[in-house]
Amino acid sequence: MKPENPLLPYLSTLQELIDLTPDVKLFRLELNDPDIRESFDYKPGQFVFVSAFGVGESPFGITSVAHRKAGLDVAIRRVGTVTNALHQLEPGATVGVRGPFGNYFPLDEYKGKNIFIIGGGIGFAPLRPIITTVLDYREDYGDLVIINGARSPQDLVFAPEFDAWAASPKTKLELTVDAGDEKWTGKVALIPSVVSELKLSPQNAIAITCGPPIMIHFTLIELRKLGFADNQIITTLEGKMKCGLGKCARCNVGEKYICKDGPVFSMEQISQLIEQF
Amino acid sequence: MSEFISKQDLLTWLGQLMGERNLVAPTRVDDLLLFRKVDRVEDIVFDFDNTTMSPKEWFYPSSETLFYVEQKDGQTELIPAAIEKETAIFGIRPCDAQGMAMNDYPFLEEPADALYMQHRDKTALIGLACITACPECFCTSMGCGPHDPANVDILLTEVTDGYIAQVLTDKGKTLLPDNLLTTADVSSPPAPVLSEVPSDGIAEKMRQAFDEPFWDRLADRCIHCNICSYVCPTCYCFDVRDYTDKERIERVRSWESCQSPGFTRLAGGHDPRSTKGSRLRQRFSHKLLYFPRQFGALGCIGCGRCVRACPVNIDIREIIKDVQQLGVKSEA
Repeated sequence: MKPENPLLPYLSTLQELIDLTPDVKLFRLELNDPDIRESFDYKPGQFVFVSAFGVGESPFGITSVAHRKAGLDVAIRRVGTVTNALHQLEPGATVGVRGPFGNYFPLDEYKGKNIFIIGGGIGFAPLRPIITTVLDYREDYGDLVIINGARSPQDLVFAPEFDAWAASPKTKLELTVDAGDEKWTGKVALIPSVVSELKLSPQNAIAITCGPPIMIHFTLIELRKLGFADNQIITTLEGKMKCGLGKCARCNVGEKYICKDGPVFSMEQISQLIEQF
Repeated sequence: MSEFISKQDLLTWLGQLMGERNLVAPTRVDDLLLFRKVDRVEDIVFDFDNTTMSPKEWFYPSSETLFYVEQKDGQTELIPAAIEKETAIFGIRPCDAQGMAMNDYPFLEEPADALYMQHRDKTALIGLACITACPECFCTSMGCGPHDPANVDILLTEVTDGYIAQVLTDKGKTLLPDNLLTTADVSSPPAPVLSEVPSDGIAEKMRQAFDEPFWDRLADRCIHCNICSYVCPTCYCFDVRDYTDKERIERVRSWESCQSPGFTRLAGGHDPRSTKGSRLRQRFSHKLLYFPRQFGALGCIGCGRCVRACPVNIDIREIIKDVQQLGVKSEA
């Protein structure tokens, strides 16, 4: 169902609010109108705008998968005005949702391939739907290697799911932090060096990375060293955006808009963009 | 032979239009000439080169409520803004009319912008052909012309004692009844001759000049005042914010400029376009490279307002000339 006025949000209810890290919460949302809720379909990699009415709206990658029909999840880090206001809300609160927007990870093309998920900090959030999809349709895909990195152990997102991921067939989970604490027994390393150390094979593989620009920059260098071609490396770009429709002209990179031509791009596509983001 | 309307009949007709719809026309506001809603024909300025601000504010206001949020008894309701009244804009220049047609590309592209579409649907354009040109005009180099009838509903061209009237669309026919027109043996005065700007092939040259230090040097003197974007008929970037200072919450869209320091800055602090040079390049690249690649037309219509308004004399005509030369250099 396409809205008549694409800038008008769907009224939605905050069903559940789960602390993921000290500054990231998972928002489980439900669109109020049952018809819209029923027809609201989305794919891994797409995003929605979430409104805190009276404060504003911001775009967030969707972290749930549509096929589970268990509500619309976004993981929101408290960092600016809108995200601070959203973090103040209690379950039951009314928010606005617009979307879904953007392109998506072409998971059908990844069937039969080994998939390497490399996420840093809150950048890991939009990669979660890929993991969920691969694990729900496990036989369709090859090996799954998940590298989740953060500044500190308590900043790793989706910790309650780590055991289940690690225990899944053909799946390997690598957690790494920039600085450990007294309880941390895992890796203390930057993501690019973990990528290098794991010697990920580019053979029949796709590497999907999302995180801070500096992390993506050095991860890319390591992946290329390992022999990954630019069309085997997928990332998502982020940009300031106000509409999600290619109209506000805030998120353009050259003649492309992150909101509608992206947010998912291969490195091959990114290297063809005029401007470097 | 041409269809003709006398000056007196024109005034009578404009007076009638005011009764049935909003009539927007060039008016003096302090020392500015602005398109404003008029209630008396005496307030309309007929003798002008062009208005200080473009007419885009009638389709895409500098600040406009998108919807209201009503919260009552724990229930939330969103009430979208709607454009009720028909409007006729009198005195729009052919270049500005083309500018509005350029804005249609992004705004009416599916999914169309609801408010912009209503503004466009409910507004008729009564154009005035240019008899004289401003020193900064260069519309003929940007696919338009002083007498271009392409994007208006009615085009009037001033002649002795009245106007030649070209009624060009159904909207125009509804607006201007036949009985006000006579057939007269008058012909249109020659269009003013404008200086040429070498816009041919500029998109490709902009691509080649993208990484030149030219942009940083040019931007040294930019004070990011944003006036170029505000006066421009085809600058359409916007911001969206919520306001709660009135009784109810409003979500408001307002003009924004790619020259603003925070235009691309993310909440986390990362700003992919943090230098003035990269922002200045963005404005000209959008008009002369990206827009043509996206929509097949230049995103500048040569009205010259930015040239006139810029406090530090950044001149798009000179930039086009310089970039053509830079392109030559890059090819060598």
